[in-house]
Amino acid sequence: MKVQMKSVRIIRSLGKVSLLAASISLGLSGMANAETFRIGITQNNVGVDSYQTTYEQAFEEAAAKAGNVEAVVLDAGGDVARQISQVRDLIQQQVDVIIIWPTDGQAVVPAIRGAVKAGVPVVVTNSNVAEAGQSLIASFSGPNNIQQGAYAAEMMCDQLDGKGEIVQITGQPGYTTAIERQKGFEDRLPEVCPDVTILDSQPGDWNREKAQRTMEGFLTRYDNIDGVYAADDNMGVGALNAAKAADRAPEIVFIGATNFAVGYEAMARGEYHGSVYQSPAEDARNALNIAIAVAQGKEVEKVSYFDTPKITQENMAEFEKPVF
Amino acid sequence: MKALLDSFKPGLKDKEISPLQFFGKHGISVALVLCVVIFSLATENFLSADNFLTVVMQASIIGTIAIGVTFVVIGGNLDLSVGSLLSFATVLVVDLHDKVGPGMAIPLMFVFTLLIGSINGFLIGYLRLNSLIVTLGMLSAIQGITLVYTGGKNVDISDQENTWFAFFGREEIFGIPVPALIFIVLGIILQIVLLKTGFGRKIFAVGGNETAALFSGLRRKRLVFSTYLLSAFTTACAALILGSRVMGSQNNVGEGYELLVLAGVILGGTSLLGGSGSIVRTVIGVLILAMIQNGLLLLGYPYYTQWLVTWVVIIVAVWLDIAAKRGKLLSSY
Repeated sequence: MKVQMKSVRIIRSLGKVSLLAASISLGLSGMANAETFRIGITQNNVGVDSYQTTYEQAFEEAAAKAGNVEAVVLDAGGDVARQISQVRDLIQQQVDVIIIWPTDGQAVVPAIRGAVKAGVPVVVTNSNVAEAGQSLIASFSGPNNIQQGAYAAEMMCDQLDGKGEIVQITGQPGYTTAIERQKGFEDRLPEVCPDVTILDSQPGDWNREKAQRTMEGFLTRYDNIDGVYAADDNMGVGALNAAKAADRAPEIVFIGATNFAVGYEAMARGEYHGSVYQSPAEDARNALNIAIAVAQGKEVEKVSYFDTPKITQENMAEFEKPVF
Repeated sequence: MKALLDSFKPGLKDKEISPLQFFGKHGISVALVLCVVIFSLATENFLSADNFLTVVMQASIIGTIAIGVTFVVIGGNLDLSVGSLLSFATVLVVDLHDKVGPGMAIPLMFVFTLLIGSINGFLIGYLRLNSLIVTLGMLSAIQGITLVYTGGKNVDISDQENTWFAFFGREEIFGIPVPALIFIVLGIILQIVLLKTGFGRKIFAVGGNETAALFSGLRRKRLVFSTYLLSAFTTACAALILGSRVMGSQNNVGEGYELLVLAGVILGGTSLLGGSGSIVRTVIGVLILAMIQNGLLLLGYPYYTQWLVTWVVIIVAVWLDIAAKRGKLLSSY
């Protein structure tokens, strides 16, 4: 019992110290706003990939830096049931705003409805909820995957000088990100480059080895391939590996998305030609800023995309190497 | 070679067998030939030495694991942990490559992978826990360990061009890709171990009738334990191929591989109840699955046809297997 009391006291005093630190930083930054917002976030599955891991770190850093935010950071571990109960917990804790990174865009809708009913506005981050939930949420913050697909089509077009035959390696079938990137690419390509034809599309499941196998099949089937569009760099590098093994890499243009460290390095070696720079830190900061604005009662856009620029061999010096 | 040929005729060698029994026994080889013929006729590029080697290479990761898992299944158990064990081993060998060099990374990876295999073997062999539950739990546990180890980050080998680690996944000997060689050589050695050694025969006995095996003085615990060591060993070999081929690893790279492995083993006619099976047939089973993937891709079919066709082939194979044992195609019960 005594031990418990002691630990409670320690936690309390720690809390005071951090409050003190927060007020000092507030004073230093000259912000007169002394109001503190409690913002809760339930993430999809931290630790399963480096993107989500970096996102969480950036979110916590940004929340600490903001000074007026007390963040409650939770992770659903990819489990939709756990996410729903986490939303309930956050409502109980009376946070000002809940940020959700949906584990399942459909199944979280009732939980969102519950939060909104309880008077807690919801911001969705990274990947959107199903149609039914979109009228409920305060805002969606994330990357514009259709735009990313369109960017990839434009880069492909530039690199091929408007003519050629290409193949496409898509993400996991059924994933919104995979579907949107494919749609953006396939819609934009004929607009900018009517003479570039897509020979074939097959999924690489976001898996480098699977993409490598898919590309080996393409290389056997087609004697001429001028370009490959892969829905992320992980798969793009898999395709590059396959082409290098078949001694056909120099004749092929490689365009990816979500620039990974391996893609960045291959680009620096001149083997890889274009990608879309999507920073998880930017993703996290954008979501937090929107949530703060919502908590302050400001008007926010229903959809807020963060910037995901094109990255090529020419402009890559402007970007830091991705941490994942 | 004799051992290999014999393996096509498990059980008694009867002089006269019905066509049905023939299919039951050689159905898998017939299916392999059928696959080759159909895809060769339907596509231009299927029937070439290059493409054949590509298929064997693509099958090598799943196939190498399946060889070890066949021992587990013949012994009457299952191993569902091999997929995440593959992720773990690949992440480990790739990550250690840059930290301690490939010469140390490879033995370390083998040690830790075998350690996990021995935990499986201990729980199932010595404590007699249900293998489905133990390895299903192990699947999540290893995934967790892998995530903690990497902190969720992908691991990559920084100098991919100049490391001798490339040997296992990217190089060729006499024009044959090394992954294919590892797969085939392991298959031949372990087929001989299974059929021609006392150890192999005891595993059949343990899987076929545990009680009888116990009464005849077999050390069941140790035998079951060793099958899990074997499946961990072949998984480690597969990790060597995968890590070298990709020169990097995602945390979940082996996700779902346990089912592909099991599909190959089942297609090869190894009974899930234990007591019968063959490495050569597992190898053929895995090759057929890889060929279906490759062939349908060459035909330009969408990916979901691969799933459908794979499923149909497995059902037909299992049905033929059972029908041959019952002696008729349609059963009245």
